[in-house]
Amino acid sequence: MSVSRAIRHAKAILTGFKYLLAGPRLTIMYPDEVQELPEGYRGMIEYDWDSCIKCSLCAMVCPADAMKMYVSREESEREGKVVKRPGINYTRCIFCGFCVDICPTDSLKFTKVHDVAYYTYEEQIYPPVEFRKGVPKPLYFREPRRVRAVLDERRGMRYEPADGS
Amino acid sequence: MSSPEEKELELLIGPQHPASGHMRLVARVDGDVVVELRPNIGYVHRSVEKLAEVKKYLQIIPLVERPSLADTTANNLAYVMALEKLLGIEAPERAKYLRTLLAEINRIHSHLYGLGIHGVMIGSSTAYMWCFGDREPFLELAQELTGARLTYSYIVPGGVRRDLPAGFGERAEKVLRYMENRMKDYFDLYFNNPVVRARLEGVGTLSREDAIRLGVTGPNLRASGVAYDVRRADPYAAYPELEFDVITEEAGDSFARVMVRVREIVESMGIIRQVLRKIPEGPILHENYEKLIPPKTREVMKRKGIIKFPSVFANLRVPAGEAISRVEGGRGEVVFHIVSDGKPSPYRMRMVTPSFRNVILFEHLTKGARVADIPAIYGSLDYFPPEADR
Ligand code: SF4
Ligand code: SF4
Repeated sequence: MSVSRAIRHAKAILTGFKYLLAGPRLTIMYPDEVQELPEGYRGMIEYDWDSCIKCSLCAMVCPADAMKMYVSREESEREGKVVKRPGINYTRCIFCGFCVDICPTDSLKFTKVHDVAYYTYEEQIYPPVEFRKGVPKPLYFREPRRVRAVLDERRGMRYEPADGS
Repeated sequence: MSSPEEKELELLIGPQHPASGHMRLVARVDGDVVVELRPNIGYVHRSVEKLAEVKKYLQIIPLVERPSLADTTANNLAYVMALEKLLGIEAPERAKYLRTLLAEINRIHSHLYGLGIHGVMIGSSTAYMWCFGDREPFLELAQELTGARLTYSYIVPGGVRRDLPAGFGERAEKVLRYMENRMKDYFDLYFNNPVVRARLEGVGTLSREDAIRLGVTGPNLRASGVAYDVRRADPYAAYPELEFDVITEEAGDSFARVMVRVREIVESMGIIRQVLRKIPEGPILHENYEKLIPPKTREVMKRKGIIKFPSVFANLRVPAGEAISRVEGGRGEVVFHIVSDGKPSPYRMRMVTPSFRNVILFEHLTKGARVADIPAIYGSLDYFPPEADR
Protein backbone atom coordinates (compact mmCIF):
# COMPACT_ATOMS: atom_id res chain seq x y z
CA MET A 1 0.00 0.00 0.00
CA SER A 2 1.42 3.36 -0.96
CA VAL A 3 2.13 5.91 1.76
CA SER A 4 -0.40 8.42 0.46
CA ARG A 5 -3.12 5.79 0.47
CA ALA A 6 -2.27 4.83 4.00
CA ILE A 7 -2.47 8.49 5.02
CA ARG A 8 -5.86 8.83 3.41
CA HIS A 9 -7.15 5.73 5.14
CA ALA A 10 -5.89 7.10 8.45
CA LYS A 11 -7.51 10.48 7.81
CA ALA A 12 -10.85 8.86 7.04
CA ILE A 13 -10.75 6.80 10.23
CA LEU A 14 -9.65 9.74 12.37
CA THR A 15 -12.37 11.97 10.93
CA GLY A 16 -14.89 9.27 11.71
CA PHE A 17 -13.66 9.11 15.30
CA LYS A 18 -13.76 12.87 15.64
CA TYR A 19 -17.43 12.86 14.76
CA LEU A 20 -18.16 9.81 16.83
CA LEU A 21 -17.11 11.75 19.88
CA ALA A 22 -18.34 15.25 19.05
CA GLY A 23 -20.46 15.17 15.94
CA PRO A 24 -23.66 17.08 15.34
CA ARG A 25 -26.69 15.20 16.60
CA LEU A 26 -29.83 15.87 14.66
CA THR A 27 -32.28 13.29 15.91
CA ILE A 28 -35.16 14.45 18.05
CA MET A 29 -37.01 11.95 20.17
CA TYR A 30 -40.43 12.28 18.62
CA PRO A 31 -43.06 12.05 20.14
CA ASP A 32 -41.33 12.86 23.43
CA GLU A 33 -39.90 15.89 21.73
CA VAL A 34 -41.78 17.89 19.13
CA GLN A 35 -40.41 20.57 16.85
CA GLU A 36 -41.86 24.07 16.91
CA LEU A 37 -42.48 25.16 13.36
CA PRO A 38 -41.67 28.51 11.78
CA GLU A 39 -44.15 31.30 11.14
CA GLY A 40 -46.10 30.65 7.97
CA TYR A 41 -45.76 26.87 8.18
CA ARG A 42 -48.39 25.29 5.96
CA GLY A 43 -50.10 22.94 8.39
CA MET A 44 -53.77 22.07 8.89
CA ILE A 45 -56.20 24.85 8.19
CA GLU A 46 -58.45 26.89 10.43
CA TYR A 47 -61.76 28.24 9.20
CA ASP A 48 -63.48 31.37 10.43
CA TRP A 49 -67.22 31.00 9.98
CA ASP A 50 -68.13 34.63 10.49
CA SER A 51 -65.80 36.39 8.10
CA CYS A 52 -66.31 33.92 5.22
CA ILE A 53 -68.20 35.55 2.34
CA LYS A 54 -68.90 32.18 0.70
CA CYS A 55 -67.20 33.18 -2.53
CA SER A 56 -66.04 29.59 -3.37
CA LEU A 57 -62.61 30.73 -4.50
CA CYS A 58 -60.91 28.32 -2.09
CA ALA A 59 -62.74 25.35 -3.59
CA MET A 60 -62.13 26.57 -7.13
CA VAL A 61 -58.39 26.90 -6.70
CA CYS A 62 -57.80 23.66 -4.77
CA PRO A 63 -55.56 21.42 -6.91
CA ALA A 64 -56.45 18.25 -5.04
CA ASP A 65 -60.23 18.69 -4.79
CA ALA A 66 -59.80 18.65 -1.03
CA MET A 67 -61.70 21.86 -0.43
CA LYS A 68 -65.33 21.59 -1.49
CA MET A 69 -68.42 23.73 -1.10
CA TYR A 70 -71.18 22.14 0.98
CA VAL A 71 -74.77 23.34 1.17
CA SER A 72 -75.26 24.93 4.56
CA ARG A 73 -78.73 23.62 5.32
CA GLU A 74 -79.71 25.81 8.23
CA GLU A 75 -78.58 29.01 6.55
CA SER A 76 -80.18 28.04 3.26
CA GLU A 77 -83.55 27.52 4.97
CA ARG A 78 -83.23 30.76 6.85
CA GLU A 79 -82.27 32.83 3.86
CA GLY A 80 -84.52 31.02 1.39
CA LYS A 81 -81.68 30.43 -1.11
CA VAL A 82 -78.84 28.00 -1.47
CA VAL A 83 -75.96 29.01 0.78
CA LYS A 84 -72.68 27.12 0.46
CA ARG A 85 -69.68 26.98 2.71
CA PRO A 86 -66.31 25.27 2.38
CA GLY A 87 -65.32 22.00 3.99
CA ILE A 88 -62.02 20.19 3.81
CA ASN A 89 -61.03 16.61 3.20
CA TYR A 90 -57.64 15.87 4.76
CA THR A 91 -57.32 12.57 2.95
CA ARG A 92 -56.82 14.61 -0.19
CA CYS A 93 -55.24 17.85 0.98
CA ILE A 94 -51.61 18.31 -0.09
CA PHE A 95 -51.04 21.42 2.06
CA CYS A 96 -50.20 23.63 -0.87
CA GLY A 97 -51.90 26.53 0.88
CA PHE A 98 -53.48 27.91 -2.29
CA CYS A 99 -56.87 28.10 -0.58
CA VAL A 100 -55.44 30.20 2.25
CA ASP A 101 -53.61 32.48 -0.13
CA ILE A 102 -56.64 33.10 -2.33
CA CYS A 103 -59.20 33.64 0.44
CA PRO A 104 -60.01 37.36 0.16
CA THR A 105 -61.21 37.73 3.75
CA ASP A 106 -58.52 35.73 5.51
CA SER A 107 -61.16 33.30 6.69
CA LEU A 108 -58.74 30.45 6.17
CA LYS A 109 -55.52 30.38 8.13
CA PHE A 110 -52.60 28.05 8.48
CA THR A 111 -51.94 26.41 11.80
CA LYS A 112 -48.76 24.60 12.75
CA VAL A 113 -50.60 21.37 13.49
CA HIS A 114 -49.66 18.49 11.22
CA ASP A 115 -49.15 15.39 13.31
CA VAL A 116 -52.65 14.09 13.90
CA ALA A 117 -53.69 10.47 13.53
CA TYR A 118 -57.21 9.23 12.76
CA TYR A 119 -58.94 5.92 13.18
CA THR A 120 -61.15 6.14 10.13
CA TYR A 121 -61.18 7.64 6.72
CA GLU A 122 -64.42 9.52 7.39
CA GLU A 123 -63.04 11.34 10.43
CA GLN A 124 -60.63 13.15 8.17
CA ILE A 125 -63.39 14.83 6.22
CA TYR A 126 -64.57 18.07 7.77
CA PRO A 127 -67.84 19.54 6.50
CA PRO A 128 -68.20 23.27 7.27
CA VAL A 129 -69.73 22.84 10.74
CA GLU A 130 -66.90 20.55 11.79
CA PHE A 131 -64.35 22.68 9.97
CA ARG A 132 -65.25 25.74 12.03
CA LYS A 133 -64.46 23.93 15.28
CA GLY A 134 -60.77 24.34 14.61
CA VAL A 135 -57.99 21.86 14.06
CA PRO A 136 -57.68 18.82 16.31
CA LYS A 137 -55.13 18.86 19.06
CA PRO A 138 -52.49 16.20 18.56
CA LEU A 139 -52.65 13.65 21.35
CA TYR A 140 -49.42 12.55 22.95
CA PHE A 141 -48.90 9.83 25.48
CA ARG A 142 -46.98 12.32 27.61
CA GLU A 143 -46.85 16.07 27.13
CA PRO A 144 -43.87 16.46 24.78
CA ARG A 145 -40.93 18.77 25.21
CA ARG A 146 -41.07 21.51 22.59
CA VAL A 147 -37.84 22.09 20.75
CA ARG A 148 -36.95 24.44 17.96
CA ALA A 149 -34.32 24.21 15.27
CA VAL A 150 -31.52 26.72 15.59
CA LEU A 151 -29.26 27.24 12.62
CA ASP A 152 -25.74 27.31 13.80
CA GLU A 153 -22.38 27.96 12.24
CA ARG A 154 -20.57 25.24 14.12
CA ARG A 155 -23.10 22.43 14.08
CA GLY A 156 -25.28 23.37 11.12
CA MET A 157 -28.42 22.89 13.07
CA ARG A 158 -29.27 21.97 16.61
CA TYR A 159 -32.45 21.69 18.60
CA GLU A 160 -32.95 23.61 21.77
CA PRO A 161 -35.91 23.89 24.17
CA ALA A 162 -38.49 26.18 22.61
CA ASP A 163 -39.36 27.92 25.86
CA GLY A 164 -35.74 28.94 26.36
CA SER A 165 -35.31 26.84 29.49
CA MET B 1 -18.20 -25.82 -24.91
CA SER B 2 -21.30 -24.11 -23.62
CA SER B 3 -23.16 -21.65 -25.83
CA PRO B 4 -23.39 -17.94 -24.86
CA GLU B 5 -27.02 -18.45 -23.79
CA GLU B 6 -25.97 -21.11 -21.34
CA LYS B 7 -23.21 -18.96 -19.89
CA GLU B 8 -25.41 -15.95 -19.37
CA LEU B 9 -27.82 -15.52 -16.58
CA GLU B 10 -30.72 -13.12 -16.26
CA LEU B 11 -30.58 -11.23 -12.99
CA LEU B 12 -33.48 -9.12 -11.78
CA ILE B 13 -32.47 -6.29 -9.48
CA GLY B 14 -35.30 -4.62 -7.59
CA PRO B 15 -37.78 -3.02 -7.49
CA GLN B 16 -36.57 -2.47 -4.00
CA HIS B 17 -36.14 0.99 -2.67
CA PRO B 18 -32.55 1.14 -1.45
CA ALA B 19 -31.27 -0.94 -4.35
CA SER B 20 -32.95 0.12 -7.52
CA GLY B 21 -35.43 2.76 -6.57
CA HIS B 22 -38.99 2.27 -7.71
CA MET B 23 -37.90 0.35 -10.73
CA ARG B 24 -36.44 -2.90 -11.84
CA LEU B 25 -33.12 -3.46 -13.53
CA VAL B 26 -33.01 -6.45 -15.84
CA ALA B 27 -29.39 -7.55 -16.13
CA ARG B 28 -27.82 -10.26 -18.23
CA VAL B 29 -24.60 -11.34 -16.60
CA ASP B 30 -21.76 -13.62 -17.50
CA GLY B 31 -20.12 -14.51 -14.24
CA ASP B 32 -20.16 -11.14 -12.57
CA VAL B 33 -19.62 -9.18 -15.77
CA VAL B 34 -22.66 -7.29 -17.01
CA VAL B 35 -23.45 -8.16 -20.61
CA GLU B 36 -26.54 -6.00 -20.81
CA LEU B 37 -28.58 -3.98 -18.34
CA ARG B 38 -32.04 -2.77 -19.22
CA PRO B 39 -33.87 -0.50 -16.82
CA ASN B 40 -37.57 -1.18 -16.50
CA ILE B 41 -38.56 2.28 -15.42
CA GLY B 42 -41.85 1.50 -13.71
CA TYR B 43 -44.93 3.56 -13.09
CA VAL B 44 -44.47 5.77 -10.06
CA HIS B 45 -45.86 9.13 -11.06
CA ARG B 46 -47.31 8.27 -14.41
CA SER B 47 -49.54 10.49 -16.53
CA VAL B 48 -48.63 13.84 -15.06
CA GLU B 49 -48.72 15.36 -18.52
CA LYS B 50 -52.16 13.92 -19.22
CA LEU B 51 -53.52 14.97 -15.84
CA ALA B 52 -52.38 18.50 -16.55
CA GLU B 53 -54.85 18.67 -19.40
CA VAL B 54 -57.78 18.44 -16.99
CA LYS B 55 -56.36 20.73 -14.31
CA LYS B 56 -56.44 24.48 -14.29
CA TYR B 57 -53.21 26.38 -14.80
CA LEU B 58 -52.55 27.18 -11.17
CA GLN B 59 -53.44 23.67 -10.06
CA ILE B 60 -50.72 22.24 -12.26
CA ILE B 61 -48.00 23.83 -10.11
CA PRO B 62 -48.15 21.25 -7.28
CA LEU B 63 -48.70 18.51 -9.85
CA VAL B 64 -45.51 19.07 -11.82
CA GLU B 65 -43.51 19.19 -8.61
CA ARG B 66 -44.42 15.63 -7.70
CA PRO B 67 -42.27 13.71 -10.15
CA SER B 68 -39.00 15.18 -8.90
CA LEU B 69 -39.56 15.43 -5.23
CA ALA B 70 -35.99 16.25 -4.26
CA ASP B 71 -35.81 19.05 -6.81
CA THR B 72 -39.24 20.62 -6.92
CA THR B 73 -38.19 24.20 -7.58
CA ALA B 74 -36.79 23.43 -11.02
CA ASN B 75 -40.10 22.02 -12.24
CA ASN B 76 -42.09 24.73 -10.53
CA LEU B 77 -39.94 27.44 -12.10
CA ALA B 78 -39.78 25.95 -15.58
CA TYR B 79 -43.54 25.47 -15.68
CA VAL B 80 -44.29 28.98 -14.46
CA MET B 81 -41.80 30.48 -16.89
CA ALA B 82 -43.56 28.84 -19.81
CA LEU B 83 -46.85 30.10 -18.44
CA GLU B 84 -45.49 33.62 -18.09
CA LYS B 85 -44.34 33.56 -21.69
CA LEU B 86 -47.91 32.80 -22.74
CA LEU B 87 -49.29 35.48 -20.44
CA GLY B 88 -46.75 37.96 -21.75
CA ILE B 89 -45.54 39.00 -18.31
CA GLU B 90 -42.29 38.90 -16.42
CA ALA B 91 -41.77 38.65 -12.69
CA PRO B 92 -40.47 41.76 -10.90
CA GLU B 93 -36.76 41.90 -10.10
CA ARG B 94 -37.08 40.99 -6.44
CA ALA B 95 -39.18 37.97 -7.28
CA LYS B 96 -36.55 36.85 -9.77
CA TYR B 97 -33.90 36.95 -7.06
CA LEU B 98 -36.12 35.03 -4.66
CA ARG B 99 -36.72 32.40 -7.32
CA THR B 100 -32.99 32.07 -7.82
CA LEU B 101 -32.46 31.85 -4.07
CA LEU B 102 -34.88 28.98 -3.65
CA ALA B 103 -33.58 27.26 -6.78
CA GLU B 104 -30.04 27.28 -5.39
CA ILE B 105 -31.05 26.14 -1.90
CA ASN B 106 -32.91 23.38 -3.66
CA ARG B 107 -29.94 22.50 -5.84
CA ILE B 108 -27.77 22.08 -2.75
CA HIS B 109 -30.18 19.83 -0.92
CA SER B 110 -30.96 17.90 -4.07
CA HIS B 111 -27.24 17.24 -4.59
CA LEU B 112 -26.83 16.25 -0.95
CA TYR B 113 -29.74 13.87 -1.39
CA GLY B 114 -28.10 12.35 -4.48
CA LEU B 115 -24.69 12.09 -2.83
CA GLY B 116 -26.20 10.50 0.27
CA ILE B 117 -28.08 7.87 -1.70
CA HIS B 118 -24.98 7.20 -3.72
CA GLY B 119 -23.03 6.81 -0.48
CA VAL B 120 -25.33 4.15 0.85
CA MET B 121 -25.42 2.40 -2.52
CA ILE B 122 -21.70 1.82 -2.36
CA GLY B 123 -21.87 0.83 1.27
CA SER B 124 -21.02 3.99 3.15
CA SER B 125 -23.89 4.59 5.51
CA THR B 126 -21.83 7.37 7.09
CA ALA B 127 -21.91 9.39 3.87
CA TYR B 128 -25.64 8.84 3.75
CA MET B 129 -26.12 10.06 7.31
CA TRP B 130 -23.87 13.04 6.79
CA CYS B 131 -25.48 14.18 3.57
CA PHE B 132 -29.00 13.73 4.88
CA GLY B 133 -28.10 15.43 8.12
CA ASP B 134 -26.54 18.38 6.33
CA ARG B 135 -29.48 18.60 4.04
CA GLU B 136 -31.59 19.43 7.05
CA PRO B 137 -30.39 23.03 7.64
CA PHE B 138 -31.04 23.77 3.97
CA LEU B 139 -34.51 22.28 4.21
CA GLU B 140 -35.06 24.40 7.28
CA LEU B 141 -34.12 27.52 5.32
CA ALA B 142 -36.43 26.58 2.49
CA GLN B 143 -39.20 25.82 4.94
CA GLU B 144 -38.80 29.19 6.55
CA LEU B 145 -39.06 30.87 3.17
CA THR B 146 -41.94 28.88 1.75
CA GLY B 147 -43.77 27.14 4.60
CA ALA B 148 -43.08 23.61 3.37
CA ARG B 149 -40.17 21.20 3.44
CA LEU B 150 -40.16 19.89 -0.10
CA THR B 151 -43.17 20.75 -2.18
CA TYR B 152 -42.81 24.48 -2.08
CA SER B 153 -45.25 25.58 -4.83
CA TYR B 154 -43.50 28.87 -4.17
CA ILE B 155 -43.30 30.26 -7.67
CA VAL B 156 -46.57 31.48 -9.15
CA PRO B 157 -47.27 33.35 -12.38
CA GLY B 158 -45.96 36.88 -12.02
CA GLY B 159 -43.90 36.36 -8.90
CA VAL B 160 -43.42 34.38 -5.74
CA ARG B 161 -45.67 33.77 -2.74
CA ARG B 162 -43.53 34.97 0.15
CA ASP B 163 -40.97 37.63 0.76
CA LEU B 164 -37.76 37.02 2.69
CA PRO B 165 -38.50 36.50 6.38
CA ALA B 166 -36.72 38.88 8.77
CA GLY B 167 -33.21 37.73 9.63
CA PHE B 168 -33.15 35.16 6.86
CA GLY B 169 -29.83 36.44 5.49
CA GLU B 170 -27.97 35.92 8.76
CA ARG B 171 -29.36 32.46 9.30
CA ALA B 172 -28.51 31.48 5.74
CA GLU B 173 -24.99 32.81 6.21
CA LYS B 174 -24.53 30.59 9.28
CA VAL B 175 -25.57 27.53 7.33
CA LEU B 176 -23.27 28.41 4.45
CA ARG B 177 -20.29 28.88 6.72
CA TYR B 178 -21.03 25.61 8.46
CA MET B 179 -21.18 23.76 5.16
CA GLU B 180 -17.96 25.32 3.92
CA ASN B 181 -16.10 24.21 7.03
CA ARG B 182 -17.62 20.79 6.84
CA MET B 183 -16.51 20.24 3.24
CA LYS B 184 -12.95 19.42 4.31
CA ASP B 185 -14.19 16.63 6.53
CA TYR B 186 -16.30 15.28 3.71
CA PHE B 187 -13.16 14.94 1.64
CA ASP B 188 -11.16 13.39 4.46
CA LEU B 189 -13.81 10.91 5.38
CA TYR B 190 -15.39 10.09 2.07
CA PHE B 191 -14.31 11.60 -1.21
CA ASN B 192 -10.58 11.06 -0.65
CA ASN B 193 -11.15 7.75 1.05
CA PRO B 194 -9.19 5.14 -0.96
CA VAL B 195 -12.09 2.69 -0.70
CA VAL B 196 -14.48 5.19 -2.25
CA ARG B 197 -11.98 6.15 -4.94
CA ALA B 198 -11.44 2.49 -5.81
CA ARG B 199 -15.17 1.99 -6.21
CA LEU B 200 -15.64 5.04 -8.42
CA GLU B 201 -12.56 5.98 -10.38
CA GLY B 202 -12.51 4.61 -13.88
CA VAL B 203 -15.94 3.03 -13.35
CA GLY B 204 -18.71 3.77 -15.84
CA THR B 205 -16.70 6.17 -17.98
CA LEU B 206 -18.70 8.32 -20.37
CA SER B 207 -16.72 9.95 -23.14
CA ARG B 208 -17.39 13.52 -24.18
CA GLU B 209 -18.57 12.42 -27.63
CA ASP B 210 -20.96 9.83 -26.23
CA ALA B 211 -22.32 12.28 -23.69
CA ILE B 212 -23.22 14.68 -26.49
CA ARG B 213 -24.45 11.98 -28.84
CA LEU B 214 -26.74 10.42 -26.23
CA GLY B 215 -28.23 13.76 -25.20
CA VAL B 216 -27.14 13.43 -21.59
CA THR B 217 -27.80 16.44 -19.42
CA GLY B 218 -26.86 18.15 -16.17
CA PRO B 219 -23.90 17.20 -13.95
CA ASN B 220 -23.58 13.90 -15.83
CA LEU B 221 -22.87 15.83 -19.02
CA ARG B 222 -20.52 18.31 -17.37
CA ALA B 223 -18.54 15.47 -15.77
CA SER B 224 -17.57 14.46 -19.31
CA GLY B 225 -16.08 17.86 -20.00
CA VAL B 226 -19.01 19.61 -21.72
CA ALA B 227 -19.55 23.06 -20.25
CA TYR B 228 -23.29 23.23 -20.85
CA ASP B 229 -25.48 24.76 -18.20
CA VAL B 230 -28.86 26.33 -18.97
CA ARG B 231 -28.18 29.03 -16.39
CA ARG B 232 -25.44 30.22 -18.76
CA ALA B 233 -26.67 29.01 -22.13
CA ASP B 234 -30.12 30.56 -21.79
CA PRO B 235 -30.09 32.71 -18.63
CA TYR B 236 -33.30 33.15 -16.69
CA ALA B 237 -34.43 34.52 -13.30
CA ALA B 238 -31.58 36.51 -11.73
CA TYR B 239 -28.75 34.45 -13.23
CA PRO B 240 -27.67 37.03 -15.83
CA GLU B 241 -26.69 39.34 -12.99
CA LEU B 242 -24.82 36.78 -10.93
CA GLU B 243 -21.34 35.43 -11.24
CA PHE B 244 -20.71 31.72 -11.13
CA ASP B 245 -18.69 29.09 -12.93
CA VAL B 246 -20.02 26.22 -14.94
CA ILE B 247 -18.43 23.26 -13.18
CA THR B 248 -16.87 20.62 -15.40
CA GLU B 249 -14.67 17.59 -14.89
CA GLU B 250 -12.76 15.80 -17.60
CA ALA B 251 -12.63 12.16 -16.51
CA GLY B 252 -16.27 11.27 -17.22
CA ASP B 253 -16.25 8.43 -14.68
CA SER B 254 -18.45 7.90 -11.64
CA PHE B 255 -16.07 9.87 -9.45
CA ALA B 256 -16.10 12.84 -11.82
CA ARG B 257 -19.91 12.90 -11.73
CA VAL B 258 -19.86 12.92 -7.96
CA MET B 259 -17.22 15.66 -7.95
CA VAL B 260 -19.24 17.91 -10.24
CA ARG B 261 -22.06 17.79 -7.70
CA VAL B 262 -19.79 18.50 -4.78
CA ARG B 263 -18.23 21.47 -6.53
CA GLU B 264 -21.65 22.71 -7.59
CA ILE B 265 -22.72 22.80 -3.96
CA VAL B 266 -19.85 25.20 -3.28
CA GLU B 267 -20.77 27.25 -6.34
CA SER B 268 -24.43 27.42 -5.31
CA MET B 269 -23.41 28.70 -1.91
CA GLY B 270 -21.60 31.54 -3.68
CA ILE B 271 -24.75 32.29 -5.68
CA ILE B 272 -26.88 32.37 -2.52
CA ARG B 273 -24.48 34.89 -0.98
CA GLN B 274 -24.66 37.11 -4.05
CA VAL B 275 -28.45 36.91 -4.12
CA LEU B 276 -28.70 37.91 -0.49
CA ARG B 277 -26.31 40.79 -1.04
CA LYS B 278 -27.77 42.09 -4.25
CA ILE B 279 -31.48 41.47 -3.87
CA PRO B 280 -33.31 44.68 -4.79
CA GLU B 281 -36.25 46.12 -2.92
CA GLY B 282 -39.61 46.10 -4.64
CA PRO B 283 -42.75 44.11 -5.23
CA ILE B 284 -42.76 40.34 -5.47
CA LEU B 285 -45.85 40.07 -7.64
CA HIS B 286 -46.40 41.49 -11.11
CA GLU B 287 -48.32 44.76 -11.11
CA ASN B 288 -51.07 43.36 -13.36
CA TYR B 289 -52.02 41.01 -10.54
CA GLU B 290 -51.14 43.25 -7.67
CA LYS B 291 -53.58 45.91 -8.81
CA LEU B 292 -56.42 43.38 -8.76
CA ILE B 293 -56.00 42.97 -5.02
CA PRO B 294 -58.08 45.40 -2.92
CA PRO B 295 -55.93 48.28 -1.54
CA LYS B 296 -56.46 47.37 2.10
CA THR B 297 -55.48 43.74 1.58
CA ARG B 298 -52.53 44.92 -0.51
CA GLU B 299 -51.27 46.96 2.44
CA VAL B 300 -51.48 43.99 4.82
CA MET B 301 -49.90 41.78 2.20
CA LYS B 302 -46.92 44.10 1.83
CA ARG B 303 -46.46 44.38 5.56
CA LYS B 304 -46.56 40.65 6.12
CA GLY B 305 -44.59 39.74 3.00
CA ILE B 306 -47.13 37.06 2.09
CA ILE B 307 -49.00 37.66 -1.12
CA LYS B 308 -52.69 37.16 -1.64
CA PHE B 309 -53.74 35.58 -4.89
CA PRO B 310 -56.01 37.75 -7.01
CA SER B 311 -59.28 35.97 -7.69
CA VAL B 312 -58.36 35.51 -11.37
CA PHE B 313 -55.85 32.90 -10.26
CA ALA B 314 -58.68 30.47 -9.55
CA ASN B 315 -59.53 30.32 -13.22
CA LEU B 316 -56.45 31.70 -14.88
CA ARG B 317 -56.91 31.94 -18.63
CA VAL B 318 -53.94 32.29 -20.87
CA PRO B 319 -54.01 33.44 -24.50
CA ALA B 320 -53.89 30.76 -27.18
CA GLY B 321 -50.42 29.87 -28.34
CA GLU B 322 -47.50 27.81 -27.28
CA ALA B 323 -44.43 28.38 -25.20
CA ILE B 324 -41.30 26.49 -24.28
CA SER B 325 -39.11 27.14 -21.29
CA ARG B 326 -36.09 25.46 -19.83
CA VAL B 327 -34.17 25.69 -16.60
CA GLU B 328 -31.15 23.96 -15.09
CA GLY B 329 -32.42 21.74 -12.30
CA GLY B 330 -30.25 19.80 -9.88
CA ARG B 331 -30.21 16.77 -12.15
CA GLY B 332 -30.06 18.64 -15.44
CA GLU B 333 -32.14 20.46 -17.97
CA VAL B 334 -35.90 20.63 -17.39
CA VAL B 335 -38.03 21.59 -20.38
CA PHE B 336 -41.68 22.52 -20.41
CA HIS B 337 -43.81 22.95 -23.50
CA ILE B 338 -47.34 24.26 -23.08
CA VAL B 339 -49.89 24.50 -25.86
CA SER B 340 -52.84 26.67 -24.96
CA ASP B 341 -56.12 27.04 -26.80
CA GLY B 342 -57.31 29.86 -24.57
CA LYS B 343 -59.25 27.62 -22.17
CA PRO B 344 -58.52 27.40 -18.42
CA SER B 345 -56.55 24.17 -18.90
CA PRO B 346 -53.68 23.58 -21.30
CA TYR B 347 -54.54 21.84 -24.55
CA ARG B 348 -51.33 19.87 -24.19
CA MET B 349 -48.44 19.99 -21.79
CA ARG B 350 -45.13 18.28 -22.28
CA MET B 351 -42.43 18.05 -19.68
CA VAL B 352 -38.98 16.68 -20.37
CA THR B 353 -37.13 15.84 -17.21
CA PRO B 354 -33.39 15.24 -16.84
CA SER B 355 -33.77 11.67 -15.55
CA PHE B 356 -35.78 10.81 -18.64
CA ARG B 357 -32.83 11.83 -20.76
CA ASN B 358 -30.21 10.24 -18.53
CA VAL B 359 -31.87 6.85 -18.18
CA ILE B 360 -30.16 5.80 -21.40
CA LEU B 361 -26.87 5.76 -19.48
CA PHE B 362 -27.82 2.67 -17.52
CA GLU B 363 -27.49 0.56 -20.59
CA HIS B 364 -24.57 2.47 -22.02
CA LEU B 365 -22.31 2.66 -18.99
CA THR B 366 -22.82 -0.75 -17.49
CA LYS B 367 -21.78 -2.84 -20.48
CA GLY B 368 -18.72 -4.80 -19.41
CA ALA B 369 -18.83 -3.52 -15.84
CA ARG B 370 -19.00 -5.78 -12.79
CA VAL B 371 -22.27 -6.42 -10.97
CA ALA B 372 -20.84 -4.58 -7.95
CA ASP B 373 -20.32 -1.53 -10.19
CA ILE B 374 -24.05 -1.25 -10.93
CA PRO B 375 -24.91 0.64 -7.72
CA ALA B 376 -21.77 2.76 -8.05
CA ILE B 377 -22.79 3.82 -11.56
CA TYR B 378 -26.47 4.13 -10.73
CA GLY B 379 -25.76 6.36 -7.74
CA SER B 380 -23.37 8.55 -9.66
CA LEU B 381 -26.11 9.34 -12.20
CA ASP B 382 -28.40 10.83 -9.53
CA TYR B 383 -31.22 9.14 -11.36
CA PHE B 384 -34.69 9.60 -9.90
CA PRO B 385 -37.20 7.00 -11.13
CA PRO B 386 -40.43 9.03 -10.81
CA GLU B 387 -38.91 11.72 -12.96
CA ALA B 388 -38.51 9.43 -15.93
CA ASP B 389 -41.93 7.83 -16.04
CA ARG B 390 -43.91 11.01 -15.68
S1 SF4 C 1 -54.08 23.40 1.13
FE1 SF4 C 1 -54.18 23.06 -1.09
S2 SF4 C 1 -54.91 20.96 -1.28
FE2 SF4 C 1 -55.34 21.57 0.83
S3 SF4 C 1 -57.42 22.31 0.74
FE3 SF4 C 1 -56.09 24.09 0.45
S4 SF4 C 1 -55.89 24.32 -1.76
FE4 SF4 C 1 -56.70 22.26 -1.35
S1 SF4 D 1 -63.16 30.55 3.03
FE1 SF4 D 1 -62.48 32.39 1.94
S2 SF4 D 1 -62.23 31.72 -0.19
FE2 SF4 D 1 -63.44 30.15 0.84
S3 SF4 D 1 -65.56 30.71 0.47
FE3 SF4 D 1 -65.00 31.65 2.43
S4 SF4 D 1 -64.27 33.69 1.89
FE4 SF4 D 1 -64.30 32.53 -0.01
